[in-house]
This record gives sequence, structure tokens and C-alpha cells, in this order.
Amino acid sequence: MKRLSLFGGTINSLEKGLQYASLKNKTIAQNIANVDTPNYKAKDVSFKQILQNEQSTIISANKTDVRHYDFEITQTNSSVTSFDNFRYRNDGNGVDMDAEQAKLAENTIYYNALVDRINGKLNTLNTVIKGGR
Amino acid sequence: MSIFKSMNITSSALTSQRLRMDVISSNIANVDTTRAKLVDGQWEPYRRKTVTLSANEGSFSNFLNKARGKNEVGDGVKVSKINDDKDTPFKLVYDPTHPDANEEGYVEMPNVDLLKEMVDLISATRSYEANITVFNANKSMLTKALEIGK
Repeated sequence: MKRLSLFGGTINSLEKGLQYASLKNKTIAQNIANVDTPNYKAKDVSFKQILQNEQSTIISANKTDVRHYDFEITQTNSSVTSFDNFRYRNDGNGVDMDAEQAKLAENTIYYNALVDRINGKLNTLNTVIKGGR
Repeated sequence: MSIFKSMNITSSALTSQRLRMDVISSNIANVDTTRAKLVDGQWEPYRRKTVTLSANEGSFSNFLNKARGKNEVGDGVKVSKINDDKDTPFKLVYDPTHPDANEEGYVEMPNVDLLKEMVDLISATRSYEANITVFNANKSMLTKALEIGK
């Protein structure tokens, strides 16, 4: 049994984007929170990795009977990387505040853009459902 | 993965920075305190205090994921210690009329350097503001997420 493909792949892909953006937001929050922590190293999230993880590690149900329903579980692997050798200040801290602020602004806009796209997609479907009325 | 995790991270940082400011306030308030602690019947002047911050990465899921070779975001920042500054010596000021002056007329004054404290205060304020920015950005993202499907 295939998954209902009314929504296509777009919303799912956008959802992955949202997951990435919120994880990235957490990472930036952690980096900025630790801007005064000695020996703290900055962390980052890789989108490519998160997308690959999402697409590859799908655990599907073990069906022993034809009447069993199919279900899938996607496993999320953390894609947070730490820059362990990077030193920005004399106390061993590796957080570049300006870069983090820029990333934060960028990430917020990216997130808003994704939400806009999801809404656009849903509106399109709505139009179809109502028959263009 | 919870929605409010980054708010928790940011608020831990806000608490830490505020505590830093509190300690700096205490240092500046006690810049002339000659009787802070009684050691063997002798008054000791106020000793400058500093705050040590450390990344709060000691939760169970953090250890578990680290053992599995995965990196985790972490749970913000925590104040690991408030230290007494024992490296900087007390300042000796010549004032024979002072009740705490020794035989030669010198008074031991706290090892607080106002200039250093002001710089630290500005640093703490800036970090606090940076965290406020993060908090607002996160808030706007969450509000935007509520608009999905509207």
C-alpha cells in the first residue's frame, strides 16, 4: 500500500527544510549562549547530511500477513558538527558572534520563506478542492 | 526535539549573563570595603569575584548520543563557579587615620579594578542583548509556524 500522494513530495521536502531550520536555530542559540564560555567550540548543522539521513534511514514494517497495514518510521540522525580545532579568542572560545548573528538572521528568513511556500502549496490544493471557486 | 528547546537555551544564557552582572555589581559596590571577612581576628578586605561559565552538556541524552558517536546541540550554558580572585594582590593605600591601617599606616584595599569591572559589565550587557536577539528571532519563527495552513 502506497502512501496517499495527494500532497506530493513538495510538502514533505519543505518539512525537512523546516526541521533543518529549527535545528539550526537551536544550534545558533547554543553558540550565542556560550559566547563567554572558555574552550567552547562553535557548532553547525549540515543540510545535505540531514536530507540524506531523512531519505535513507526509513524503517518499514515487517509484514507477516497480507492484511497488515504498512507503516514507516523515519529515524532522525543528528547532523550537528562541532568545529573542534577552531579558536576565535584567547580563552579557547570558538564562537564568531558576528557570523552567528548573520546566520541567525538568514535562518529566520529561510524559515519564513519555507512557511510561505507550504502555505502557497496548501492554498493551491484548496483551490483545486473547491474547484476553482 | 522539542519546540521550546532554543528558548530554554537562550534563557539559560540570559540567567548566566544576569548573574555575571550581579557579581560585577557586587564587586563595584564593595570597591572600598575593608572589612569583608574576619580571618583569625583580623579583618580582610573584599576580594574580587569572577564568574566561570561552562557549556551545559551533561544531560543523559547528550552522553548517550556522544557515546554513539553523534553530536548533540546541548542545553545552553551554566554558571559552574563563582571564584575569588586570589591572583591579584590587595591594593595598599597610605592612610594612617583609617581604623584598619597597620603599624606603618597602610590600609589594605580590595583588589577590585573599576576599569576591569566596567569592561566586564559592558561585555555581559552585550552578550545579554545578543541573546535577546536570538530569543526574538526564535519567537518570530514560532509565531510564523502557527500560520501554516491558515
